[in-house]
Amino acid sequence: MTEVNIKYIQTEFELVINERFSSGITGIFGPSGSGKTTLLKSIAGLIKPSEGNILVNDEVVFDKDKTDLAPGKRKIGYVFQEGRLFPHMSVEKNLRYGMKNSSGQSIGFDEVVDLLDLRNILDRKPNRISGGERQRTALGRALLSNPDLLLLDEPFSAVDVMLRDQIIPFILNIRETTSIPIMVVSHDLPDLLKLTSTLFLIKNGRSIGHGNYYELLKNQEVSDFLGSNPLINAIDMQIKDISEEKEIMQLVKEVKGREVIIKCKTALKGKETGNSIRIFLHADHIALSSGPLEQVSIQNQLKGVVTDLIHRESSVLCMIDAGVKLAVEITSDSQERMKIKPGSNVCCLFKSVAIDIIG
Amino acid sequence: MSDLLSFSPAEIQAILLSIKVALCCAGISLPLALWVGYKMARYDFYGKAILESLIHLPLVMPPVATGYILLILLGTNGFLGNWFYETFGIRLAFSFYAAVIASIVVSFPLIVRAIRTSMEMVDTGLEDASRILGAGRWKTFYRITIPLAMPGVISGTILAFARSLGEFGATITFAGNIESETQTLPLAIYANMQVPGQENATLRLVIISVIISFIAMVLSEWYIKKMKDDRG
Repeated sequence: MTEVNIKYIQTEFELVINERFSSGITGIFGPSGSGKTTLLKSIAGLIKPSEGNILVNDEVVFDKDKTDLAPGKRKIGYVFQEGRLFPHMSVEKNLRYGMKNSSGQSIGFDEVVDLLDLRNILDRKPNRISGGERQRTALGRALLSNPDLLLLDEPFSAVDVMLRDQIIPFILNIRETTSIPIMVVSHDLPDLLKLTSTLFLIKNGRSIGHGNYYELLKNQEVSDFLGSNPLINAIDMQIKDISEEKEIMQLVKEVKGREVIIKCKTALKGKETGNSIRIFLHADHIALSSGPLEQVSIQNQLKGVVTDLIHRESSVLCMIDAGVKLAVEITSDSQERMKIKPGSNVCCLFKSVAIDIIG
Repeated sequence: MSDLLSFSPAEIQAILLSIKVALCCAGISLPLALWVGYKMARYDFYGKAILESLIHLPLVMPPVATGYILLILLGTNGFLGNWFYETFGIRLAFSFYAAVIASIVVSFPLIVRAIRTSMEMVDTGLEDASRILGAGRWKTFYRITIPLAMPGVISGTILAFARSLGEFGATITFAGNIESETQTLPLAIYANMQVPGQENATLRLVIISVIISFIAMVLSEWYIKKMKDDRG
């Protein structure tokens, strides 16, 4: 458990945080200048809060006037926005930099190299590898320092949009293999939602929400804060069937004895029936109908019940329980026309190509 | 021609002595300059501007004046020199040590400036990254800061070496012109110029000075280029 109770006061900025962070992946979201990086740097010991205390893995690493552990003693892995690889060292030397000689290393060098697919670039210098490889090396270097907590500061922003989706599975893999708690900072909500549904929202140095994404959305203030950000549904599923011929994959998720089945395009190589997979679906790529449609090309039709309605600027966000939780964004006009309200039975329609896959 | 190449024992002494003084000067200045350069580049402290001016003073002062001040301070009757003589039994003025000290004082601003500038260019973010990875300040300093500031460290050291080779005014004032003890190349050249018929000896020593300095510069340029190529 990581606990942060701090005040950081500067002339024109004040950060006040009193939060406990879960042991999974927490996505820290907020606009530029909201204090996200300041929070991470305080935890890492790179800046000193004006008052308060910080616990990492239940150990006090900072307590005003009493304890102020040096960054290297806090057992924290930090991946910086630009990677910050040491330019005069090879990838391998970078990776080994923070390794302790003593045993007790929870994850070994070879394991990390394989996990992050770095084998082929070990002897190269950082200026001879791609942006994605640099970011993976930085991740590996942080992991090999044997941390109790991983802090990722905008890990995607230095990487092309195309490459971002390639890094996300690596981070999910790290979490699965090592069970190290991870805090990820980003100002890109879709990127965060691809990693986790636990969000900590921050604005002007103050928390405005912390918890499950779908629960947070019900709060009008949070919904306003997320404003124009595209909202994404992230669902963990299993592969039930792959039809090479039709290039269609059937995914399944069992919820309370009921099977939710989703069909999507087979885009992933090396995946087999039974494998876990995470899919993403934009809230505004889903349409609603009052019942199932028969003569229609749309592959996915999930029956569900509207649980909440959240009014945004010109649209309405319908929270739907369709076995899986789905946020569906429709225009206010449609909502009024179809008389959708909490308790309404609806059918969620989305094309198989609307689904992004990672995993 | 053969006369031009036949070095007298005294000339060889002067050449070897010069190299020895220059090596001692560079060798002693380097660790000191690394420390001072790092503090200057990374920290603000009370009296920083004054210290900076003090270090740079020998750069703008006439070397003879620098030598004279050294003589006042470190001469056997000087305040520090007297203490040094009574504590260690070593007389500093007009000795080999004096030649080295004079060299260090006049070349120190050059090496500090080069190192400081190159350290200021090292991204402090990399030092932060190193410290989070468990390295202490010391390990961060010698594994990250120094290697990344290496071009400046090398050119600074070469500058100090070369400045020491050419040092004349402070040396002749503080260390004197004693053959085989403090008579370095420039002093030997000057001494030979004063004696009619020693034109060849003078020329020999001048050529040697040029060669040593040239080799030092070429080596440093080559090494800095190699390092830059390595990092791209």
